[in-house]
Amino acid sequence: MIDLAFFQIVSGALFAIGLYGVLARRSAVLVLMSIELMLNAVNLNLIASAAFLDPSRFTGLIIAIFVITVAAAEVGLALAIVLRIFRNRATVNLDEIDLMKG
Amino acid sequence: MTDNLHLLLPEFLLASLAILVLGVDLFLPAGRKHLLAWLSVAGLVGLLVLSLLMLWGKDISLYGGLIKTDSYSLLFKVFFYVLGGVVILSAVDFVKKHLRSPGEFYAIVLFAVLGMSVMAASVELLTAYIALELMSFSFYIMVAYGRNNPKSNEAGVKYILIGAFSSAILLYGVSLLYGAVGVTRYDEIAAALTTAMANADAVSPTLWVGLALVLVGLGFKVAAVPFHMWAPDTYEGAPLPVTAFLSVGSKVAAFALLLRLFGEAFMPTIDQWQLLVAVLAAITMILGNVVAIAQRNMKRLLAYSSVGHVGFMLLGIAALSHVGAESLILYMIGYAVTSMAVFTALIAFFNVTGRDDIADMGGLADSHPFLAAAMAIGLFSLGGLPFFAGFTIKFYLFTAAATQGLLWLSGVAMFSSLISLYYYLMVVRQMYIEPAPAWAMEEAEEEESVYDEQATTGKPSKLIVTVLAALTLGVIFVGVYPFPLLEAIKSAAGALLGAS
Repeated sequence: MIDLAFFQIVSGALFAIGLYGVLARRSAVLVLMSIELMLNAVNLNLIASAAFLDPSRFTGLIIAIFVITVAAAEVGLALAIVLRIFRNRATVNLDEIDLMKG
Repeated sequence: MTDNLHLLLPEFLLASLAILVLGVDLFLPAGRKHLLAWLSVAGLVGLLVLSLLMLWGKDISLYGGLIKTDSYSLLFKVFFYVLGGVVILSAVDFVKKHLRSPGEFYAIVLFAVLGMSVMAASVELLTAYIALELMSFSFYIMVAYGRNNPKSNEAGVKYILIGAFSSAILLYGVSLLYGAVGVTRYDEIAAALTTAMANADAVSPTLWVGLALVLVGLGFKVAAVPFHMWAPDTYEGAPLPVTAFLSVGSKVAAFALLLRLFGEAFMPTIDQWQLLVAVLAAITMILGNVVAIAQRNMKRLLAYSSVGHVGFMLLGIAALSHVGAESLILYMIGYAVTSMAVFTALIAFFNVTGRDDIADMGGLADSHPFLAAAMAIGLFSLGGLPFFAGFTIKFYLFTAAATQGLLWLSGVAMFSSLISLYYYLMVVRQMYIEPAPAWAMEEAEEEESVYDEQATTGKPSKLIVTVLAALTLGVIFVGVYPFPLLEAIKSAAGALLGAS
């Protein structure tokens, strides 16, 4: 018998890998990919919860569809902005994008 | 379920208005794009009247309980329409001078306003998230709007990466929460939490992790310490009217969402999260106000100052109750009016000089006495001096926190408010006592010797002066006579937490 907890553990691991990627990667594109990984952990969690908790209602599945859509839009927007900075500065390395120090 | 769809008419019309602005933009010659600003503002005023006529006194939930039209939604809807109008009007000169494709800019402002008003109205996690993203996406675009300005690009990259990151955290929290309670509507979550709290030891830890992650995700969105590191860079790099909109609109909208979420859904577990939010509030107000002292750029100073104000607003969440919610809503409105006044004065200053460092503001009282006076009033109000909005709103908020047993937090708030007065007054000192900086002297000499028409245009336009005067009056009005506002706020808080 496979428990909901197994899915939550896999999803948690996926989320942690994504989190590590966001913190450790220096290329804007790789950071975006890591964020995608985190969002996929969310989707896995939602779909597993929906299947285990209330198979008759599919709130979790609907949220997952919305998350996929919003994530696609987000990546599109982020890549557009990254492209601008690449045109102007010829780099996507986040350590070199440092005109302002915070 | 779909009988009451007409109650969403203002939202539908606002989306249409934004698309209309985009469409009209195609047919206007380049020199007349500023007409779009007037179109947007006229549309917003029309929608304001329509929503007041149509939604006054209604308390109905739509779409099977996804969106609620009650006095809380109405209050914030009106607030965001007015804010959108003010932002557009104060941006007209700036956009004309510095930004390409102004038509899209106004349309995106309208989309952001739409997102904000839905954020305040939604009573379900997914709806709230979609509205939040509509607003955030608009801001990502606006922050990076100076397409060939490397600073604006950099601000955009930092903002969207952190924004997407925080969305992922927020969503992970939502998914855990959903896994723990199995529902996403606020009232159902509250019911499930009440049942769960009856047997607190058996509560699954995923619930608490989920709740904490939701708080962290929203903490990033409002730039609460320790999730604030994107704010100063984004504020500095973004075009100035966008900075103003970001620091006022996005914060108030996110707090409207937070207040509704915590007031309607998480209220049964207040004992569990109250201390967490209170600690977050305390470090946010202290760090924001202390770091602001060291800033040399006006936009960065206002960024840290707004982080400090987020701390004060979190105090309202920690003291959640009828008085807490009321004083938090009042605080949001007073902060918005004051902050917009300061930013509008700064935009006017930037339009004239093209500079935004604090050192550049020397001698402003001599060269532009009205700007200096308006900015001084705004800064006094942010610092919390009496007769201005800042004093009244802080008085109500700190009193509310003290009556809710958070006396120590009120003390911290008063202390950090005192710190904030120091750096606000430093700016006032620069404007009134310090001499004009060298570049201004040179310009003035050139003006005298050459005497051409171009040089004497160094005056803020009538439009922005009018907006600024209205905002300044608003600051004094909220400070001296907030009672009509309090009536509306009382009814809004009542809609949120049930009649007292």
